[in-house]
Amino acid sequence: MSRLLVNRFPRPDFESGYLYPEYSYAVPNEMLWDIIDVTVLLILLGIVTWAAFRKRMRMPILAVSVVSVGYFGFFRGGCVCSIGSIQNVALAFVDPSYSLSLAVFLFFIIPIVFAFLFGRVFCAGVCPFGALQDLVNVKNFRISRPVAGALSVIPWIYLAFTLIYAMTRTRFLICKFDPFIGIFRLGGDIGVIGFGIVLLLMSIFTGRPFCRFLCPYGAILDLVSRASIFKVRITPKRCICCDLCHDSCPVDAIKAPYGNKTGETPAEGVRRVVAYMVALPLLMVACALMMRWIAPDLARANSEVRLHEMVTAYEAGPQDTMEPEVEAFYSQGRNLAELETSRNLVVSKFRFYSTLAGILIGLVIGLKLLEMSLKRGRKEYEIDYGRCVACAKCFDYCPQK
Amino acid sequence: MSDNGNPIKRREFFRRLGKVLAGGGIVAVGARSAANVKSEGKADLYWQIDHEKCIQCGRCQTSCVMPVSAVRCMHANKVCGYCDLCGGYYRTNAKELNTAAENMLCPTGAIARKFVEEPYFEYTIDEALCNGCGKCVKGCSSFGNGSLFLQIRQELCLGCNECSIAKVCPSGAIHRVSYEDAYKFKDQA
Ligand code: SF4
Ligand code: SF4
Ligand code: SF4
Ligand code: SF4
Repeated sequence: MSRLLVNRFPRPDFESGYLYPEYSYAVPNEMLWDIIDVTVLLILLGIVTWAAFRKRMRMPILAVSVVSVGYFGFFRGGCVCSIGSIQNVALAFVDPSYSLSLAVFLFFIIPIVFAFLFGRVFCAGVCPFGALQDLVNVKNFRISRPVAGALSVIPWIYLAFTLIYAMTRTRFLICKFDPFIGIFRLGGDIGVIGFGIVLLLMSIFTGRPFCRFLCPYGAILDLVSRASIFKVRITPKRCICCDLCHDSCPVDAIKAPYGNKTGETPAEGVRRVVAYMVALPLLMVACALMMRWIAPDLARANSEVRLHEMVTAYEAGPQDTMEPEVEAFYSQGRNLAELETSRNLVVSKFRFYSTLAGILIGLVIGLKLLEMSLKRGRKEYEIDYGRCVACAKCFDYCPQK
Repeated sequence: MSDNGNPIKRREFFRRLGKVLAGGGIVAVGARSAANVKSEGKADLYWQIDHEKCIQCGRCQTSCVMPVSAVRCMHANKVCGYCDLCGGYYRTNAKELNTAAENMLCPTGAIARKFVEEPYFEYTIDEALCNGCGKCVKGCSSFGNGSLFLQIRQELCLGCNECSIAKVCPSGAIHRVSYEDAYKFKDQA
């Protein structure tokens, strides 16, 4: 069956002066939208930074959140977004034939640069996802430290898998499992929308579950913000340890002053840290091996690998009805040997990237364990800058204005 | 390091080190990715269907994230045979060749048929009604000149970061094209 032009019927010679209708089509000015999007991003980031550092006010950040949900969320349909841009950047890293557009690149790098300068001001209200969760948030039930610590590994695992799937050009996982995009577009995959609604309901009672326990971009910003040059402060004056700010933080980023309350002697503590340090490389090797082991299964999500499975199954025992994939395979004049080669290439890429991803996952788990066991005395209420999203909520609770 | 014994100084050292590492990392990643950025006109940013690969499987209608798919049928009139018996218009098993709904291939009645002159009929697609199911395209490719073809309408398409049809397209027909190629017409190849 040919899908190309065939000339079964000759072109008619019209005698009545018939004119062919013209195509009607339009190509939107993508460039213009890119410029508008990047400008809005910069303006909103600027407002949040100004509000959190100069004005120390929550109101402008709230306004930014509303604008962001309205513009980036509902109006632009959640695309392009910084979270998803990780995938484009990663793919362009390993595959120069892939087109990385300037706007996507800027959406990736600008919030990171801001995070390096001022902390996670992007998350405060410029990110439509963070803004949406913040707008519905009423109460902050605190999640216990070990549970929160364990859950905070998930963004890194998600990031690792995202990189594997993007770099092998298999899937954009972030786009597929984007929980809020269905809400912004008022349609889409029911399961994913349901998940988004569950997350939103959760964010009523505990701040930003997506940001804290899922967002892979948040993981990157977390890392960068720890080293940020300027940092938000709960109060510009001295902390008087009144504990008033402690519960105001939606992401549980405020650490209370801490004496040595654990039953552990210093020697025991040191022994524990040393044990974790020894465990760290072992953990990395173990995770790398495990990921390498499951790599061929992960590869089955790749269309080339799946096609190979379908075609071999078909050739082993031809059925009456051909899968459309198999039909397309034959009608494009491809053959099994060539498919085999390209499948093997994909699988070997999967093996390589999965091993790297395993190393990353092991490293993150090990470092989290270490971080949780390193205890350092604090005399004041301090902000954990990796977690703080610069939302400015705590400022108002502090009597030391 | 001489200040190893002093915890304050040591902490300050690690803080500096962190800043340098983070800053250096950002510059390195930024520079490397910036080198991969393609200029706007040349970058392949628009999702489009390669009609040489498409087998009209019907997934274009159902897999787009839009409630009604951004894929619509277009007609290359200049290569159409203007047949009375159009393979894209009538069902193959139509009993009588009249415009009764049960004889129509198009489920939404998006194809308009107009008499031009003996024996020619003009077929045009009402894109507001078309849902991109590709039935007519299949019919025309099998029995006619193949002048009907599916296109992603760029003004309807959201330009998803990953087109959800592309991921299920059995023939790998959906790919990204540049601004100049945002539409591919059958009569202008
Ligand atoms: S953590 Fe992620 S989802 Fe939350 S605000 Fe930051 S970038 Fe957005
Ligand atoms: S600004 Fe204050 S309330 Fe907001 S995230 Fe940071 S520490 Fe928490
Ligand atoms: S999914 Fe692919 S093969 Fe099926 S109709 Fe669309 S472009 Fe054609
Ligand atoms: S890119 Fe999105 S909107 Fe456009 S055709 Fe594909 S799924 Fe539909």
